[in-house]
Formats: sequence, structure tokens, C-alpha cells
Amino acid sequence: MSDHVVPLEEMERDALTELVNIGVSRAAASLRKMAGQQVLLSVPSLEVVTRGGAATLIRERESGDLVAVRQDFEGVFSGRALLIFPESNSMALVRAVAGSALSDAEAAEMEDEALTETGNVVLNSCLATMANMLQRPLTMSLPQVVRGNGVGLFELMQVSTEEGGVVLFLYINFAINDRDIRGYIAMLMDLPSLQALRLLITEFIRRVIGDEV
Amino acid sequence: MSDIPTPERHPDIPSRRRQELAALGGPWLEALTASAVAIVLTDALLPDDPILHVNPAFEALTGYPAAEALGRNCRFLQPEPAETEARARIREALATDAPVTADLLNRRRDGERFWNRISIATIRDGHGAPAFRLATQADVSSEYADDPAARELRASRRSLAEVQERLRVVQSVAGAAGAWEWDIASKRLVADARFASIYGLDAATAASGLPTAAFFAAVHEEDRMRLRIAVAGALHGAEVFARDYRVVVDGEIRWVAARGRTYLDAAERPLRFAGVLTDITDQRKVEERLHIAQTAGEVGSFEYVAGYGTAEVSEQFCRLLGLRPAQSLPVRTINALVHPEDPALIQNRDGRISSGTASHEFRITRADTGEERWLASRGEYRAGLAGGTIFTGVIYDITTTKRSEAALRLLTEKLEERVEERTQERDRLWNLSRDLLNVIGPDGRLRAVNPAWTRLLGHDEAELIGTSIEALTHPEDAATARSHLAHLLHGEAIAEFDIRMRTKGGDPRWVSWTVVPEGGAIYGIGRDVTQRKLLEDQLRQSQKMEAVGQLTGGIAHDFNNMLTGILGGIDMVRRRVSQGRLDDVDRFLEAAMQSGQRAAALTHRLLAFSRRQTLDSRPLDVAVLVRSIEDLLRRTLGEQIELVIDMGPDLWSAVADDNQLESAILNLAINSRDAMPDGGRLTIGGRNVHLSATDLAHSDRGEAGDYVEIRVADTGLGMPADVLAKAFDPFYTTKPQGQGTGLGLSMVYGFIQQSRGDVMIESREGSGTTIRLFLPRHHGAPDETPAKPRAAALPGTGETVLVIEDDPAVRLLVLQVLQELGYRAIETADERDAVPILQSARHLDLLISDVGLPGMSGRRLAEIARASRPGLPVLFMTGYAREAADQAQFLDAGMEIITKPFAVDELGQRVNRILRTKGMAGPSSE
Ligand SMILES: Cc1cc2nc3c(=O)[nH]c(=O)nc-3n(C[C@H](O)[C@H](O)[C@H](O)COP(=O)(O)O)c2cc1C
Repeated sequence: MSDHVVPLEEMERDALTELVNIGVSRAAASLRKMAGQQVLLSVPSLEVVTRGGAATLIRERESGDLVAVRQDFEGVFSGRALLIFPESNSMALVRAVAGSALSDAEAAEMEDEALTETGNVVLNSCLATMANMLQRPLTMSLPQVVRGNGVGLFELMQVSTEEGGVVLFLYINFAINDRDIRGYIAMLMDLPSLQALRLLITEFIRRVIGDEV
Repeated sequence: MSDIPTPERHPDIPSRRRQELAALGGPWLEALTASAVAIVLTDALLPDDPILHVNPAFEALTGYPAAEALGRNCRFLQPEPAETEARARIREALATDAPVTADLLNRRRDGERFWNRISIATIRDGHGAPAFRLATQADVSSEYADDPAARELRASRRSLAEVQERLRVVQSVAGAAGAWEWDIASKRLVADARFASIYGLDAATAASGLPTAAFFAAVHEEDRMRLRIAVAGALHGAEVFARDYRVVVDGEIRWVAARGRTYLDAAERPLRFAGVLTDITDQRKVEERLHIAQTAGEVGSFEYVAGYGTAEVSEQFCRLLGLRPAQSLPVRTINALVHPEDPALIQNRDGRISSGTASHEFRITRADTGEERWLASRGEYRAGLAGGTIFTGVIYDITTTKRSEAALRLLTEKLEERVEERTQERDRLWNLSRDLLNVIGPDGRLRAVNPAWTRLLGHDEAELIGTSIEALTHPEDAATARSHLAHLLHGEAIAEFDIRMRTKGGDPRWVSWTVVPEGGAIYGIGRDVTQRKLLEDQLRQSQKMEAVGQLTGGIAHDFNNMLTGILGGIDMVRRRVSQGRLDDVDRFLEAAMQSGQRAAALTHRLLAFSRRQTLDSRPLDVAVLVRSIEDLLRRTLGEQIELVIDMGPDLWSAVADDNQLESAILNLAINSRDAMPDGGRLTIGGRNVHLSATDLAHSDRGEAGDYVEIRVADTGLGMPADVLAKAFDPFYTTKPQGQGTGLGLSMVYGFIQQSRGDVMIESREGSGTTIRLFLPRHHGAPDETPAKPRAAALPGTGETVLVIEDDPAVRLLVLQVLQELGYRAIETADERDAVPILQSARHLDLLISDVGLPGMSGRRLAEIARASRPGLPVLFMTGYAREAADQAQFLDAGMEIITKPFAVDELGQRVNRILRTKGMAGPSSE
């Protein structure tokens, strides 16, 4: 059985990738302001996989512990979003965001706070941009920091609907002051939500193409 | 023809080695040869590993037929003499007989080059010494691709991208890249001359600004939509823009890479979208080729910077490991898939290695299917731009190669096992064999003997080794052994021969030898056949007794008839004489004489059969002889039988006793006559032939060479096979009991054999019989046959004759004859009487002596006589004398022989002739 489901068409994936790109760019702009440093975010690619597939993906890629910021969203499409970093990268991110002048102890103290803030900015920007671009409102829960390995994280992603749902899995490159930090955005949705998202994307494409550019 | 540099050839690989291998390999070699794996076998015993064997797969791989490869060293496949690391590695491995795998650039017969992955293993014999080398070959060119691509292949995608980026930088610095700037608010596109040229726009217009639609106008239809989406993202605030797409200008497709940024205003609203455009058509081609090569060749690439937890990988890399495609993977994830006993895939985490190449092989458990596969990794360490060591490498699946290697190893082990097994078998055979097994060196001395030697002959091994085989042979067979040995040492194979060996106690043991010379040594297998020989002897003896019984019976019967004729005749004469009736006395005497002559003929035939007759062999002309008896033959055969005499031209002269030959031919003619009761044709032919040793296999004394053939062929009844088989049996006769002693054919046989010739018989029931007599050729002209004096004896003139004869009856007869003929005869019975007379001064003209005397033989007495009377004529009388069988050897000049029984007249004539010849030759001895 393939871990991939309802593969989006190339164009749809492109479009969704661009939407997230716009979102993370916004987040980057916010982070630049927050940190007063050069921050660039980009999403090179996106995959739609099952929950199990997502767990495998993250396990294969990240053998160490992970740290994630979680937010649920609700609207035309609903689900749960996670911004995931390797635990080992999180302090670098904290320093990048909260300022490199921090001592180790200070940084450790601030870690969760900094992560929550970063996650909030990134996820909010992404989801808000998507909602905005798709011209549909979304409501979001408060961000929450979770730790664990790949499997554990996805186990945490219980959604109301029973039939497992799918995961939009996005790679995200953080370039903060020329320092590369990798991370992932995972958006867990049920199938009806994905279906709805798809319709919206098609609409977006039509609009873009029809745009008087 | 190919222009291979002249290789050293070994055209003279002994076929023995090939056989040895075939014997060792057996079905194994066949199986391997038949497989699709290319195989080469070389001879490790000869210098420089000449090829002994290649299989059809090898021929297919290299294009060289086996005949062109055999005897050469495999390096003839190498196109260049240049030294390479791989060759050095092979040389090193071969020097220590270690297994080795290497890739070598080789050339096929048609000149095409290919990368040849060779795995060489050394096969050892039972003693662990290298005997053969076995190698498999596989074309792995796909792993090397062509050269520029090969170099790229070793680099990971990322480093390729790096190169491209650098190239782009260079290009833009050099003005090779085009630049654009898209003003979002005014929807105007401004582009430079280079951009305009790539897009096929007018440079001036582009510089002054175009509608933004111009950005998409030249874009390939298939890429336009995705580019629009990406640009839409950028225009809506996605800050990073990177897209590769095709533009079509004047029908020509070019690949371009567009890299841009979206610049925002203070309110975070997108302001302008600007970037550079590079023509990447060429790189793209390389990249595509690379991609195809990587995908088709199933080669995954990766790059790892020492110290990092992750490695950059290609999609194919992930696929080979059964992982989901990713661009970067944690080292731990990768290495966790590698078999715990094998080297890790990603190495040098501590950065200790900073340069050089590395390659290794390992097993992995595929992450998706759990299947075990063999992979190989190759790559290169280099210093990274930002410090640290970067390893750039590729991985590929080698499971199939590994499996055939494993199969090869297994086969090699099996072969070694077989060699070992065979050696053990041989040892067992050697030790347990009841047959004598031995190796004799070129000096004729024993080099190795098996325990059977001690068991059979009693000598222990230490005594035997170094002893000459002749010394171990029974003295009577030593000469035979010596001659066989001489032949064997000349490399001639002798199938089998029986000789007697001497036991430690001195007893003879019959041993039947099968002996093969090989490589200077002689290998022998000897079977103890003493028991068999004994039985054979007994059998022969009992057969002989039976035969003698038969013969005695037959002879007794015939003799009794003859004696009845003789005794009856004499008895009748005596009665008539006493009655004074002398008128019909002659009739009875004649009958007695005839019986006596028949008895004489019978004993003569007996002697002929026993090959103990006294033969007077001399050169003779067969044609002349046959013609001289032609009349006699015609009379014997009668009118119903046609006689054809067919003598070839230039017939050689033969050596034989003419009288015996006459009677042999006559005998055969009579047999033929009896086989043609209703008439027919008898052909007597003669021709020159050459007989080989095989032709003469059944002859007792015949030797290969020239012979005169006398063919006696009839058109008679012929003989059935069972009769034919016994035709020469001495006592076999087809005639009813009592009618004959059956000595006819066997007598002929005996005579011819005694004459060093041979007889062959062909016969089929109903289609006649052909008998061929072969007489040895005489080199030179035939002697002038002395005319046989048939005239009655002339009276003597008082010459003195000394007679030595132990049989009083014969002595009486001889004396009587001599006296009647007018000679003076001195009578002696043996040497006691004779020697004093011989040594005295008495005048003697002739010595007549029996050969077989009780004391000193007649021949010896003749010598004593000749000592003081050189030239004294001697006439020997003999009934039978083994030593006189060959007259030529027995007699000196002036000696003659007369065989008993002889007619009174015959004796008289002989004495007469001798004394007359002597008289002419010179004065008598004093
Ligand atoms: C059994 C066997 C098979 C070999 N097969 C090949 C071959 O197919 N191609 C090749 O180039 N060399 C082959 N070689 C290696 C060469 O014969 C030779 O050993 C090698 O070139 C190193 O020696 P050199 O440097 O003296 O030439 C083989 C060697 C052995 C013993």
C-alpha cells in the first residue's frame, strides 16, 4: 500500500506550495521584525501522505528527538498544523529569533516561549495566507509546544474524524543570518477537508491564470 | 583482425592439464560453462597464468573465440600497457593467491572498450598448492558511463547544483545572464539585452519596458502554467522565487533558470519582483543525461560533510535503500539500514580522512520491503569550500554480482572439496589396493610403492624405494622386464604384460602389469596372477595329457597296422624261405617295406607338428618350386579339379626347407581336393607382402617385415566356424576315427612356424577355404639348388669309415651297407670306443655318427675328430635331435645330416657323394 493518497495534480501542488510560500514569506517578514535579523523562509516542495506515511517520513529523516509547535484550525477545511524542528536545531532557532546575545541558561529558559512565538508566526501566516488567498475564513487555536519522536508526534495529532485523514507535508528552509535550519510543516486534515481545500486551490489557479498580469 | 600487442603465447599447454581439470571439474565445469556467467580458467602451475579454458559467455563478452584465447594471459584484453591501480592490485593478490575483485578497462575483439569486473579465485589442489585460477567477468561499463558524465556521476546532485550556481555567477559577471525587473504596481517588465536575446525580444524595447505578459510569451506551453503560478506567488509576497523552464524562440527550445526575489515596501506589500535569467540548456542536457544514467543505472548519489548529522542524497539514493525520496537524510537513518557486520554507508563522521578515494561494499535491509541487498559505495573525499571534508559518492546495487561471486566461491570451494575428496579417494585406493601400484623414475628405479608391494612380495617400502625394477624380477623374466622398461622410458605405452616378480624369499609371483609412461615417470599397476597362471598351466597340462592320450591312441592304432604289415610280411617271407618257396617272397617284402615307409612318414609328421623336425632351410624360389610339383599336383587332384597357378611377378626368394614346403603344399592340395568332391578350382598363388607386428600377433616367431605369401584357395565346401577354430589343433581331424591322426594342417602350421613364418586361414561354409602361408623373405638371390643325385650308389674303393652308433640294429645295418658298397667300416658304439680311434694316427676318410649318443653327443665327437683331422667329412644320422632342427646352425662345412629312417640306397648315395666331393676337394685327412 502506498503512503501517498489522493495525489494532488502537479499544478495543484504548485499552487499550494506557492500559497505556503507566500505564507512563510509573511512569517519571515514578521520574524525579521521580531529578531531584527535577516530571515528568509521558503518551501521547496510539498507531499500529501497518510498519517503513517508522515510518521515514516519524519522517522527516516530525523532520528533524534523533535520539538513541534501545534495549532488546530477550523473553517471550510479543518485540522491540525505542526511546525516541527529537530530538537538539536531548536536552540539555534531560539537564539536566532530571540537574539544571539542570550546566555545558554537564558536561552534554555526562553526556549518554549521563543518556539511558541515562532510557531505561532509561521503557522498563523501560512494558514491565514491560505485562508486569505482562498478567500475563506479560518479560526485557529492557541499554539502549544510538544516534544517527542516522529511517531509520537503524529500519534498526538488525533483529530475528531476517525478515518485517519491525510497529512500535507511541507519542507521548510529557514535561512537566518545565513544559518540553515530545516524544519517541517505538517497539516493534518480529514478527507472532506482536503477535498474542500482542493476545490479552493482550483479556484485560485483559475483566478491567477485569468489575472490580468 | 584486432591489433592486440603480441601477447606471450603458450600454445603447448599439455592436454593432460585440461584433462585433469575436466576430470576434477566434471559436471561442475559443464554446469558453469553452460551458465551465463563469463568464466576463465588459468593454469596456476605454468608461469603467467595461461588460459586453459573459457566458456561461451566469455566468448560472447569479449568476442574472442576460445581458440584465440587459450594459452594467453588474460591481459591481452587490456587495450593499453599502462600500469593501473587495479592491475597492481591483481598482481599483488595473485602473488599471495588471495582472491581479488577489480575493474579493468578491456577491449573486445571488435575494438570496443568496456569495463570488466573480474573476480579471481585460486583453486588449490589436495596439498593446498595453487593449481588453477578461476575468474568471472562482467561488463560493468554502465557504472562508468562515458567520461564527462562519469565524473558528474560521482558528484551528488547538490554539488552539481553548486557548480551550476557558480557557473551562473560567472555567467552573470561575464554578462551571460539576463536580468529582469518586474514593477508590480505599474505592471511593467524591464529586461536587459541578454534577457531580450534569450526571450527573442527586441533589446531596445525590452530596456524601455514591456507589458508583464512578455514574461510568459516565449515560455514553452507546458511550462507556462506552472510559471504563472510561481510568479503569482511572488507577486503575492512569496519572497523566494526559483524556477527552471523552457522558452521557445524561432522554434528553438532553450532551458532557462530564473532566480528572483520579491521586494516588499515598508508596509510589507510586494513592490517589485526582480531576478536573473540564465541559459542552462547545456547543463540541463548534462543533468538530464545524468539523471537518465542515474535512474537507468540505478545509481544513487550522496554528499556528506564530515561532522554533520545528515547527508544530502538523490532520489535514486533513497530508492536504493527503500526510503521515501528526500534530499537530505540523517546519517543514522542511512547507516541503520546497513548490516551490522558490514562497514557503514556513510563514513568519516569524525572527519579524520581528508582526501583520496574510497569504496566499499555492504548489505542493507531495504526500509520498505525488508529485503536484503548488496550495495557498493564509491566516492571521493575533498576539502569543502567552507572547511571540513566533503565526501561525494555514489551507491549502486551489486546483489547480482555478489550472488554470482558467492556462487563462484561456492563452486570453488566445491571444486577444492572435490580435489580433496579425490585425493583422499586416491590415497585410500593407494593404501587399500590389492594390486601393486608404483611409480618408477626415469632411472628405472622405484620411486613410490603402495603397501600391496609389501603384502605380496614381502619387501618393505624402504627396501623397495630406489631399487631397480629389474632386480625385483625373476631372473628368467629380467630380460623381458628390461626391454619393456626401455620402451616405456621412450614414452611408448605398453598395454599389458606378464612377468614373474621375486618375493623376498625368492619365490616367483606372476604379476600382470598395466603400465603407462607419463612425464618421464612410469606408473604401473600390477595384479598378482600367480594363481591364474598356475591354473592355466594345470589346464594346459591336462589338455596336453588329453591330447597326448588322443595322439598316442591314434599313433598306436596306425603303428599297429603298420607293424602288422611289417611283421606279417617278414613272417610270411620267413615261412616261404623255410618251405623253399621263393616265388612270391617279393610281394610280402614289398608290403612290409610299404608299411615301414608309412611308419616313417608318420613319425616325420609327428616331429613336424612338434616343430622338432630337422629343417634344411635355405633360400628358394617359390614359383620354381610350385611349378616343379605342378605335374604331381595335377595327378593328385584329378580331372574334375582345375588347377590355377598364379605367381606374382618379381617374387622375392623365401627361406624354407624345400622338401617340407613341397609336402605342405601337397597336403593342402589334398585337403582341398577332399573338400571338392564334385570338382572345382584350386588356385595356388604367390606374391610379396609386408606384415606388421599386429598382422603377426598370432605367430610364434614371426617378426614384422617382408614375406612371400603362398595362397592355396579352393572353391570347396568350406568349414563352419567351430571347425575353423580348431583347424590347426594338432589332433583335430574331420576324418573318421582311425582314418588319420589329424596331423595334416597342424603339420603345415608347425613347419611354417618353425620356419619363422605364419599361416592364416579363411573359410566360410559353402564358399571355399583359403590358406595363406607366409615365408620370410630372403634378402639376396636364391641358392642354386644342388641337383639331387638320384642315381644308384657307386661302389666304394676301400675308403675307411668310422661308424659311431649305439643302436646295434642300426649299426649292423649301416656296417652292412658300407661293406656291401666296398668301404672299410670301423664299428664303435660310443665315445669310449671312438675317441681313441679319432685321436690315433689311423687313416679315416669319413665319420658317420649318430647325433644322440648316450655319453658325448655326435656333434662333440665330430669336434674332437676335427681337432686333429681338420676337414674330415662327417655325416650325422638322426631320428630326432632338438639341436639339429636347424641344420644351418648345427653343421659346419663338410658336415651333413641324414634323417632316420633312411633307405639303404639313400645312405649309400650320401656316403658316395661325400667321399667323391672330398676326393675332388683335396687329399684325405691323415
Ligand atoms: C583467472 C584470471 C583471469 C583474468 N581475467 C582478466 C580479464 O578478463 N581482463 C583483464 O584485463 N585481465 C584479467 N586478468 C588479469 C591479468 O591476467 C593480469 O594478471 C593483470 O593484468 C595483472 O598483471 P600485469 O600487470 O602483469 O598485466 C586475469 C587474471 C587471472 C589470473
